[in-house]
Amino acid sequence: MSTLVQHTPDVQPEPEPELSGPLPRRRRRRRAAGETRTITSAFERRRPGVRIGRTIVNGGLLVFLLIACLGPILWLAKSAITPTQDTLRYPLALWPHGTDWENLRTAWVEIDLKLYFWNTVVIAIGSWAVQMLVAVTGGYALAILRPRGSRILYGLVLATMFVPAVVLLVPLYLTVLDLPFTHWNLVNTYWGAFLPAGASAFNVALVKRFFDNLPREVIDAARVDGCGDFRLFWHIVLPMSRPVLGVVSVFAVLAAWKDFVWPLVVLPDPAKQPLSVRLPRLAAVTELDVVLAALLISCALPIAFFLVFQRLFLRGGLEGAVKG
Amino acid sequence: MRNHRRRGLTALATIASLASVSLLAAACGSDEDTKSDGKTTITVEGWRPGDEQGTIDAVKKQADAFMKDHPDIVVKPIEWEWNAETFSTQLAGNQLPTTFRVPFTDTKGLAERQQIADVTQYVNELPYAEDFNPSVLAAAQGTDGKIYGLPTDVYGVGLHYNRDLFEQAGLDPDSPPTTWDEVRSDAQAIADKTGKAGYAQMSTNNTGGWMLTTLTYALGGRMESDDGATATIDNDATAQGLQMLHDMRWTDESMGKNTNYEWAPINEAFAAGKVGMYMSGSDVYNALVTTNQVDPDSYGLAVLPLSDSPDAGILGGGSVAAVSAKATPAEQEAAVQWNDFYREAKNYDPDRAVADAEVLKASDQPIGTPTLPIFDETTWQSVQDAIKPYVNVPLDQMTSFTDGVFDQTLVPEPPAHTQEVYGILDSVVQKVLTDENADIDSLLSDANDQAQALLG
Amino acid sequence: MTALLARLPRLPERLGRSLGPLVFLLPMLLVFGLFSWWPIVRSFVMSVQQTNMVTPATYVGLDNFRAVLDDPLLTTAVQNTAWFAVLALVIGYPVPLILAVVMSDVRRARGLYSLLAYLPVVVPPAVAVLLWRFFYDAEPTGVFNTILGWFGLGPVPWLEDASWAMPSLVLEATWAAAGGTVIIYLAALVSVPPELYDAAEADGAGILAKVWHVTLPHLRSIMLITLILQIIGTSQVFLEPYLFTDGGPDNATLTVLLLVYNYAFANTTGGDYGKATALSLMLAAALALMSVVYFRVTRSWSE
Repeated sequence: MSTLVQHTPDVQPEPEPELSGPLPRRRRRRRAAGETRTITSAFERRRPGVRIGRTIVNGGLLVFLLIACLGPILWLAKSAITPTQDTLRYPLALWPHGTDWENLRTAWVEIDLKLYFWNTVVIAIGSWAVQMLVAVTGGYALAILRPRGSRILYGLVLATMFVPAVVLLVPLYLTVLDLPFTHWNLVNTYWGAFLPAGASAFNVALVKRFFDNLPREVIDAARVDGCGDFRLFWHIVLPMSRPVLGVVSVFAVLAAWKDFVWPLVVLPDPAKQPLSVRLPRLAAVTELDVVLAALLISCALPIAFFLVFQRLFLRGGLEGAVKG
Repeated sequence: MRNHRRRGLTALATIASLASVSLLAAACGSDEDTKSDGKTTITVEGWRPGDEQGTIDAVKKQADAFMKDHPDIVVKPIEWEWNAETFSTQLAGNQLPTTFRVPFTDTKGLAERQQIADVTQYVNELPYAEDFNPSVLAAAQGTDGKIYGLPTDVYGVGLHYNRDLFEQAGLDPDSPPTTWDEVRSDAQAIADKTGKAGYAQMSTNNTGGWMLTTLTYALGGRMESDDGATATIDNDATAQGLQMLHDMRWTDESMGKNTNYEWAPINEAFAAGKVGMYMSGSDVYNALVTTNQVDPDSYGLAVLPLSDSPDAGILGGGSVAAVSAKATPAEQEAAVQWNDFYREAKNYDPDRAVADAEVLKASDQPIGTPTLPIFDETTWQSVQDAIKPYVNVPLDQMTSFTDGVFDQTLVPEPPAHTQEVYGILDSVVQKVLTDENADIDSLLSDANDQAQALLG
Repeated sequence: MTALLARLPRLPERLGRSLGPLVFLLPMLLVFGLFSWWPIVRSFVMSVQQTNMVTPATYVGLDNFRAVLDDPLLTTAVQNTAWFAVLALVIGYPVPLILAVVMSDVRRARGLYSLLAYLPVVVPPAVAVLLWRFFYDAEPTGVFNTILGWFGLGPVPWLEDASWAMPSLVLEATWAAAGGTVIIYLAALVSVPPELYDAAEADGAGILAKVWHVTLPHLRSIMLITLILQIIGTSQVFLEPYLFTDGGPDNATLTVLLLVYNYAFANTTGGDYGKATALSLMLAAALALMSVVYFRVTRSWSE
């Protein structure tokens, strides 16, 4: 649950010029010289006043981003290996009395961060798998198979996008407590964390829109060749869907890693809780340097994940959520 | 080749998601049976979050010993801490241990809502059932007079202080303050000399109300009438106490600038040497050692200074080892037996107290932290004498409390809607500690109206 | 006739075709049915019931709604939530816009800029809040107060003061979320038709004039959408007040969702799920109203 605006990416199949309808918004206009036009013109940038001004503005922006965005994380990295008293007394000094690498080990072993770390990994993988399954099969049925009533169904799915997640907190909790028909109690099981994550209208919309834009004649040709629903799905549609699967995947994993409220409610057993839920509790009873080491460990994986898959995260666009 | 690998990846992803879902049935079907091979299995409150391994080992050792005596019972200690925030969800989700401790203040409400079990018949089978101090047992009884658990520990609030900070401030660590004026001047000395908070007070999550009530009692006031029908929050003692907090916070600046404390964080801050003095239950030393690794040499415990008012007294409370309403009769009986074995008999029977101390000693756990009598004072004294050789807490740094506490009147917590009233008082304490211009009288009169609306 | 015979061997395929859609829809139907649609229906039912999770629920009509409306904390919570939203507009809304416009004109290493801007978004919110809670130490030796001290400012009481607490929460929330919005704006900025800039230059427009007359008008529709999304998002703020201040000091950061949570989970008298769902539904109704606006804007934007 992001407090401000959720960054919602959009993915489209690479448009083949003769097939793609009007999709100009996504495509960069290329100039004859093959250069992208921005606010300032090449001519302006050659003027000394503008050149200096741009250098200052762009350089200032870089410094600002370094301090504001990277700064806190670097500070955390520094303080994670600094003794508590130094962090308290000289929060901005660089190791006035040396480093204390032991903090990381203490956090990992003594306060059992490894357990919560693996819990988080399990929750992330499970939530990812459920979200993938639901979005890909659902999107396929809605976009390609289009059985009767699928428009209404899609509408019902999209409608849930406008029901705030936390409004459902209590009824969802009671549902998970005593699942209809089966009377399974999913509280304190990872299924209680995985399955509700699958009910993401955003994923379904994203995948459906991607499938909608797949070249129709490829699918029609496959149909003519006698390709059934399953073979069409497996051999034609899925292989063409790598981009959208990638985007859904990285956001699913990140969202699971970040989630706080739902696991707080559905996993009351400390031994099963993920880092997000456990950290605030541990922070109240643990020495500061170890807490900071624990915080560093907790954001190391998502940051590494982001650096590896940055292209998927940083492809922009709001169309998926907007048009959906 | 490349294309082939891509397809493999995609397929793998789909297979993985399909496979994991098909596991669902298996995972959910295998609900653990609590009554396998005729044994009764109970889960019990074992240790707090953040406790060190020694504490966990000690509980497990006790559980093994218990199971040897009771071959038909399986005891599983788990991490648990009373938390009003998660209690009802845990109850609803069947996630409570079979038995757990709840504060005196919550027993009646839980009993009334049938969220904890009536264990009268099992308690009455215990050898000391007739010997409870009636006012203590009352805390474990519902409004219907039935018994809903064993009162296992009783505390009086004391003043905990950091001896090192006292020394650094030029104060004598062996003569802690005996009046609130001295508390104030000592706090100022500590703040001036060391830059630490001379005095700190809890303010959030209902602990603000708990401690404001304590301060009110010490100054001779009450928060509710004895029958719990009338709120008396806007009394002079409370106003006086708040004015003192206000002056320490804003005039003396001896409370530091961070005031957002509740039970666990203030313990952590104290153990880290950031707080000179604070009020908490007399038994908090155990947590300071097992959870926060406080330096024993720096710890001191004093009785709470009382005003001259004849009504002045210290707030007393404790916990009741209750049993989940969802436990079967066999589980309820087993739970009471475990609580007798692990928590209660050592308060009654000197031999059991020694046996308990042996186990604690082996795991290097604190022994001898001051508590108050659950039975009569003679019983309490004989237990204290029996464990004397095992005591490993710095009792000579707690003499002010242990010598003085029996001369003080122990006043129970407000009888009606205790936690809600505490919640209302939280806001008052927070306001005074975060707003220099807070109008104490109007705050109290507003709080009184809110509380009165609850009491009806 | 022959045509029919020719089709015979493909019967299983046809059967598969009618079953196929259902099989593929099944995971979605199950997951949405159980974990989205059913709880939505259920919240309506629960809002007119009283339950303590032990005894069966009883029908109480509109009592829960009345109890919520009578709660003196509701006004506080609504005001605080509105205040958070307003502060987020003043502090949080312009930041990503300005960043994106400047970044769009960066010609070298723009990837590095977006990478840095997005970095806070991937930090788990619980980690970010715990870290910032330390930064917000009210003592003069706190991290932020030390920095302010270099410029002769502060110390600021941050979370320790009723009027500072909310801006502090907004500041952290902005830090945590701005990067996502920057990426949205950047993507939109790429599509500004170059002819417009060329034309503006032909008219003798300077850089700021181009930003004002070309760039921002081009972003207008997407700005409106992020605005509405942000208002909807901020109406549901929970994590920051819950983890930073637990609604304090003196309820200064008690938000509507924190009140919902407190009704359901923090109430020491046992979860009041009826009141919690009643307040949730009232909030949802308000959000639905905003969603209608959102849909309208969306439509006009995508046309």
